[in-house]
Amino acid sequence: MVKSYLIARREYLSYVATWGFWLSLISVPVIMVVFGSLPLLVQSSQPTRYYVIIDETGAGYDDIVQASLESGRRERAREALTLIGRAAGDDALQRALAAFDRDPVGLEGLPAALAELGVDESAGAFAEGFGRQVRVTAPAQSAEGLHPYLLGQRSIDTPTGPGELYGAIIIRQGEDRPLAVDYLSVNIAEADLGRQARNALERRLRRDFLVERGLQSADIDQLNALRPPVRNLDPSSGDEEDAAVTLADRAPFAASIMLAWVLWISVFSVANMLLTSLIEEKSGKILEVLLSTARFHEIIIGKLAGVAAVSFTLFAVWGLVGGLAMVVGGAALATVEPELAQAITAAIEPGLLLAALGYFVIGYLMFGAIFLAIGSLCETLQEAQSLMSPVILFLMAPMLILAVSFTSMDSAFVQFASWVPVWTPFLMMARLPYEPGLTEILATSALMLVTMVAVLWGAAAVFRQGALSQANVDSVKRFFQRKKRKSG
Amino acid sequence: MSEYALEVRGLSKSFSGKPAVSDLSFAVREGEITGFLGPNGAGKTTSLRMALGIIQPDAGQSRLFGGPPTLAALNRVGFLPEERGVYRKMTAEAVIILFARLKGVPAETARQRAWALLERFGLADAGRKKIKELSKGMAQKVQIIAALAHEPDFVILDEPFSGLDPVNQAMLEEIVREQAAEGRTILFSTHVMQHAERLCDQIVLVARGRKVFDGKVDEALAAAPRQVIIETGCDSDVAALLAPFGTVEAMTADRAELKGWRVTLAPGSDAQDVLKACVDAQVKLARFEPIRAQLQDAFVELVSRDDPQEAAELIKEGEA
Repeated sequence: MVKSYLIARREYLSYVATWGFWLSLISVPVIMVVFGSLPLLVQSSQPTRYYVIIDETGAGYDDIVQASLESGRRERAREALTLIGRAAGDDALQRALAAFDRDPVGLEGLPAALAELGVDESAGAFAEGFGRQVRVTAPAQSAEGLHPYLLGQRSIDTPTGPGELYGAIIIRQGEDRPLAVDYLSVNIAEADLGRQARNALERRLRRDFLVERGLQSADIDQLNALRPPVRNLDPSSGDEEDAAVTLADRAPFAASIMLAWVLWISVFSVANMLLTSLIEEKSGKILEVLLSTARFHEIIIGKLAGVAAVSFTLFAVWGLVGGLAMVVGGAALATVEPELAQAITAAIEPGLLLAALGYFVIGYLMFGAIFLAIGSLCETLQEAQSLMSPVILFLMAPMLILAVSFTSMDSAFVQFASWVPVWTPFLMMARLPYEPGLTEILATSALMLVTMVAVLWGAAAVFRQGALSQANVDSVKRFFQRKKRKSG
Repeated sequence: MSEYALEVRGLSKSFSGKPAVSDLSFAVREGEITGFLGPNGAGKTTSLRMALGIIQPDAGQSRLFGGPPTLAALNRVGFLPEERGVYRKMTAEAVIILFARLKGVPAETARQRAWALLERFGLADAGRKKIKELSKGMAQKVQIIAALAHEPDFVILDEPFSGLDPVNQAMLEEIVREQAAEGRTILFSTHVMQHAERLCDQIVLVARGRKVFDGKVDEALAAAPRQVIIETGCDSDVAALLAPFGTVEAMTADRAELKGWRVTLAPGSDAQDVLKACVDAQVKLARFEPIRAQLQDAFVELVSRDDPQEAAELIKEGEA
């Protein structure tokens, strides 16, 4: 075991001493923060979009659309204000909302509301965040007339000087319907303004239609409120109040799928590290020197343990960073978004994490042993890739299954696939919140353990032949050619 | 206690049905330098790997220090394989310490020995440099140090001279002598006979996986054909005169006015007899040179007894 330890130690230090290791260590939390804040970054970096609304009918539909757009913007501003206000306490929040509601249709009350929360210096930025779509006076009254402005050939007057026209909503008489809307913009990927205009007009036309049919305004409001609410209840959770399914209840399901993905990516990356390290040793003619000091199994155990230690170091550091972020950010999040905070807490189930750890170890040993065996047969990475391609396709299958079975992990197909031992760690990990039977968990685990031992034994046999170049990629080709001839 | 550091008996190994080593037996006596000689592809590396238990033989057995080649026995062996390499990203010091520790030397002792050996091999300045920063010769020295740092009783060097320039070959010969002088048993394989002639007490000759000779260097040389080169300016029928002493072949003389002959002496004949016959026949000799037997010639002769075709190939190889 001392020799395995020394080989593992060398393996570990050879990775820890590289820039790549430190980059991986730092990059994951950084990437998570970046991805987490990406929507906010995209939103805040979006330029102000100027639009015009032209009502060819002359019935004032442009004002209806504009009022609807402003109302939506006001609603979003109020939600954001509420989020910020929760951190300042209930009293401050109530004062801020009261100030905000002093302008019941616009954003005039926003500066006073932000002042109540003590963040009035950011009022400009806050208001701008919800006012990035600004209506301007139309420089022409037809689609043709607006073309040079929409194509950027001519500028329009904006509150901050000459600017570019982003979009135009033209409301006209419909051919077979009362109204039609043309939305013009060179940004064909985004049609939010047009959609909002359609929704606003649809609501207005429905109301007018119902009024024409003799309904009172209050009746119409009642009619709109008829949509039945749906409650999601979990009958296994006791009384009705506890049975309501919350975000926290759903969190472990999402967490287990995420863990299965992370598990596969980790196992695959770490096993790849083993492969490259072994090929480096083979091409560097180091293996025979090692074999004169240690036996095959000691080298295999040492290499597997060394690379596993590298991954555990990464997990430990990421776990520590994540834990600190939870402690520091968790309390703040609980005041701002208690439901989300509860969901995150619920997602971090010790049982799930423990299972992930166990599945990682077994998955890593299986994948690692397979990759070691392949590496021992190859002199270069190119050779390894030619052998790896069919193996990777097979090993990737659980990821494809996870992708298509995201919401139906309890399907018979996924249950069946869970019994394929090299897929078990990932599929069972994703299925754990669905509470598969204990017998199934134990039986799949036992099969997986037996396979792991068989794979390690087989890999050691291949390694024994490959390490001293008694077998190579050509041996594998010859093996399959013989099989083909026999079957032919 | 066995008097042999290594004994192999009846070792055989085939790869894909092709025999690499067949029924090989020899022993390496403790405290001696033994050469394991043969052309490329003779099965030397496979034999050494089987001897150390790195690969399993199809038949036969190997005994290290009187017992099977266990890891405990291997810890007393310093092995420099033919396909040698070191971790290029590690420092010379770290490489030596790692391999010493793998052989059971405590960390601090390994460190002290690493620096002592680096100093002795003139590599003290390179100790903290990565292997990839060293020249090829320096890296090879580090590999040799790594094989010696645990102060083994038995040093096995597989083709240690291959890839070394003449200066480093001479240095390595010196190291082998030093190690032997310190009481270590040395076994080295080579296909270059001159190294063995200069260094070995005992040699084992192999060809096509089979042993063709096992004994002292002098005994091997005795098997080499003894030859005499004669050059003369007279018109005497030298070929007829010397025919009773062995095979006489005409050869080109050093000078155009001379005639030359190579006499391969028959068993029982002696160079002195040839000289006496020439003097008695009043042959005016311009050159009379008994040729010193070479191990290469002895090897070819020994191989040709069993396998004339292999011997012919060896002669071609030697000429090349």
